[in-house]
Amino acid sequence: MSFLTSLMNALPGAVAQGLVWGIMAIGVYITYRILDVADLTVDGSLATGGAACVMLIRAGVNPWLAVLAAMAAGMLAGLVTGLFHTRCGIPAILAGILTQLSLYSINLRIMDSKANQAVSVDKYDLLLSQRYVRTMSLDNPLPLLLVVTVVVIGILYWFFGTEKGSSIRATGANPHMARAQGIDTNANIVLGLMLSNGLVALSGALLSQYQGSSDINMGRGAIVIGLAAVIIGEVIFGKIFRNFALTLLAVAIGAVIYYIVLQIVLQLGLNTNDLKLVTALIVAVFLAIPYWKGKMFRQKIQPQSAKGGNGNA
Amino acid sequence: MKKKLIATLLSAAMCLSLAACGQKTDAPAGSGSGSGAVSASNGEKTQYTVGICQLVQHVALDAATQGFIDALNEALPGQVTIENKNASGEPNNCATIVNGFVSEGVDLIMANATGALTAAASATADIPILGTSITAYGVALDIDNFSGTVGGNISGTSDLADLSKQADMILEWFPETQKVGLLFCSAEPNSKYQIDEVAKHLADKGIETKEFAFTDTNDVASVTQAAADYSDVVYIPTDNIAASNTEAIANVLVPAGVPAICGEEGICSGCGVATLSISYYDLGVTTGKMAAKILTGEADISTMPIEYTDATPKYNAAMCEQLDITPVEGYTAIEG
Amino acid sequence: MLELNHVYKTFNPGTINAKTALQDLCLTLNDGDFVTVIGGNGAGKSTMLNAVAGTFAVDAGTIAIDGKDVTHLPEHKRAQFIGRVFQDPMMGTAPTMQIEENLALAARRGKRRGLAWGITRAEREEYREKLKTLGLGLEDRMTSKVGLLSGGQRQALTLLMASLRRPELLLLDEHTAALDPATAAKVLELSDRIVAENHLTAMMITHNMRDAIIHGNRLIMMNAGKIILDISGEEKKQLTKEDLLARFAAVAGQQEETDSVLLS
Repeated sequence: MSFLTSLMNALPGAVAQGLVWGIMAIGVYITYRILDVADLTVDGSLATGGAACVMLIRAGVNPWLAVLAAMAAGMLAGLVTGLFHTRCGIPAILAGILTQLSLYSINLRIMDSKANQAVSVDKYDLLLSQRYVRTMSLDNPLPLLLVVTVVVIGILYWFFGTEKGSSIRATGANPHMARAQGIDTNANIVLGLMLSNGLVALSGALLSQYQGSSDINMGRGAIVIGLAAVIIGEVIFGKIFRNFALTLLAVAIGAVIYYIVLQIVLQLGLNTNDLKLVTALIVAVFLAIPYWKGKMFRQKIQPQSAKGGNGNA
Repeated sequence: MKKKLIATLLSAAMCLSLAACGQKTDAPAGSGSGSGAVSASNGEKTQYTVGICQLVQHVALDAATQGFIDALNEALPGQVTIENKNASGEPNNCATIVNGFVSEGVDLIMANATGALTAAASATADIPILGTSITAYGVALDIDNFSGTVGGNISGTSDLADLSKQADMILEWFPETQKVGLLFCSAEPNSKYQIDEVAKHLADKGIETKEFAFTDTNDVASVTQAAADYSDVVYIPTDNIAASNTEAIANVLVPAGVPAICGEEGICSGCGVATLSISYYDLGVTTGKMAAKILTGEADISTMPIEYTDATPKYNAAMCEQLDITPVEGYTAIEG
Repeated sequence: MLELNHVYKTFNPGTINAKTALQDLCLTLNDGDFVTVIGGNGAGKSTMLNAVAGTFAVDAGTIAIDGKDVTHLPEHKRAQFIGRVFQDPMMGTAPTMQIEENLALAARRGKRRGLAWGITRAEREEYREKLKTLGLGLEDRMTSKVGLLSGGQRQALTLLMASLRRPELLLLDEHTAALDPATAAKVLELSDRIVAENHLTAMMITHNMRDAIIHGNRLIMMNAGKIILDISGEEKKQLTKEDLLARFAAVAGQQEETDSVLLS
């Protein structure tokens, strides 16, 4: 099988993985860009979502309910981080780390002290599985993932246009002004964290079904992938996608691009020991692109600048 | 528009250059770049592609992989292209790696460790999957009443040395034992299973046991100290994290004068007194031989039961000296 | 409308950086008072405003707005009574949100925010009309992000936002200090107009003595955390800059003498 054919074959899997992580990246976007808070809880809450979902499915619960329950667990995690930060005065980053640390033990307990719990698509009625990602059938996870992504973006777009959602945006944009307008910024930060971690847990629940197991370490490095997706999405689509809903879509696409790049690099024969280095470089390059662009194009304008500077405030 | 084009070109260029770097690096025998070179003709299949997905860089897992590759190359010389990929400890990468294998249409997947096995099992029901360095397949794959054969497209080798024999070993060496501390890493799927079994056997003999689980390298020392304070003897299963931290464990156990019985030779030579040793290299070789049979069609994977290798009772002479213990008859000293 | 009773505030108590910003501060504002506040640096003017707004808690004393004791209310709960314009033009608006969104946020100051849509069509019309009165052309750019506006435009917008829902008390903290003279004049004129039209009770801090004399019906001078001058009505209208400076020197000088007598 030639390289291109096998790459084409691998794309559906990469896209599916990307879409699952895209939901997680949207959750990270809410805290990172909207609330302007660096939330490290996600490494833990992703695994919490996966663990809760798998254990419930193994106990015979309907997979949709299991996923909803997983989201609730994620929201609880966000609540804890929020309370650490707003009621105990712990800086946001530390609060996130503390929750993530505690979640390791909690996730183990959820998984009955086992580090890995399998949930086979042959045995349970899962919502999605990587087994069928290449088939043209109703079992293919791609349509489901696309629908979930669109629904999530739709709900968020509506929510952030409501009074409450606008007040959350204000909290992140300018907390002084928000408080002066009577907005309880502490409550909003907690709400934002709950929303974000709920989404991350949703992603974890879907991921565990997709991969066929929940693992205590499945959240490791999640925040890096989430931030990478946000940044890739912004860099590539920043100028075209102005609308909020489209920005969220860009984040999801960013995650997909990340996984496609990863798959390509793997297919090209990269020594997988260097995988983490590659990840770091991908993120670094995308972070640097806007910076370099700024420098490059500025130099061209200088000779003609008799017309006065930018009128920008 | 221009800026976006440049951005996309930059990222594409970066990918290609990095992959080009990847091409030049050294990798274990046979690791190739994609399946360009192989399995051309469809009629008579003599060329095979095999994908190895190893969960993490680790001495025992590396040995199993090496054994597998050597055995395959010996059984089918020049006929197998092997792609050896490592998930660097992240279970999610296993899915990406396996996705690549399935897309290429490899003839067999070797899954080294539990995370790799569950990812592969979830990804395909057709391509044969051989697991290795996995202790309990029934547990890993959630099979009730595991009979010893997984069936379907999965089989493999197990690194489980008879657990009841290991429990007996504790009493053989230390007949006065009353309390045994069970030391392991909570993130290791296989360890809990072994701990539970050994605890059961010991309980049958009236020995009290207690679990001491550490999370990672950072709390090994403190947890081991707690275990040393409680136990007459410590038992350590085939645990990858323990294997990477034998120095730290020894630094606690030796001053405390507490001996350790280990599930595996590597751990024993670092911090233990005796073990029922299996060689991970040999385990890999057994897996490789199974693979060769499956590839040539000589055997049907759905009927192949899980295979084990023989265990040799061994002891660590230096440790025995340090703890002033006389070695038991019938045990061979670990070399080196 | 506003009553400050024996308010004390010390920053960094017990350390070498301790600063008693407010000392036994007593002040009563009547409905409709437009008070200008002047004083040297470190006199406590901004601290007084921040204490009223609730940015921090005071060490002792009580603060009441329209008869309600707000001393222990957090900042966001006091906001329902207070409209504020800050010295920093960037502080009063959310730069990543649109002009109309900022106004919508201000219109809901003090109200429970639920899941109703953030801004209705009727509101947009209302905002367009109000923005026209500013005379800055902002009514044509209602969906522009506020971050693109100049400092003067942002201050004007903040002023409008502060008065959109009639506040019991309007606090202006040197709100023209960061603007160029032309824009500053415009914003001051706006402030006057808004206060007059809505019959607001307002407190304005300014470093400009002339502005302090011209605007408002009452003038307060602060020094070292205390109010040392309180002039209103006719007397205020007749004031000149020189008068003020002389009276300041007299009072401040007295205090300095007392200190040096104590210390020597």
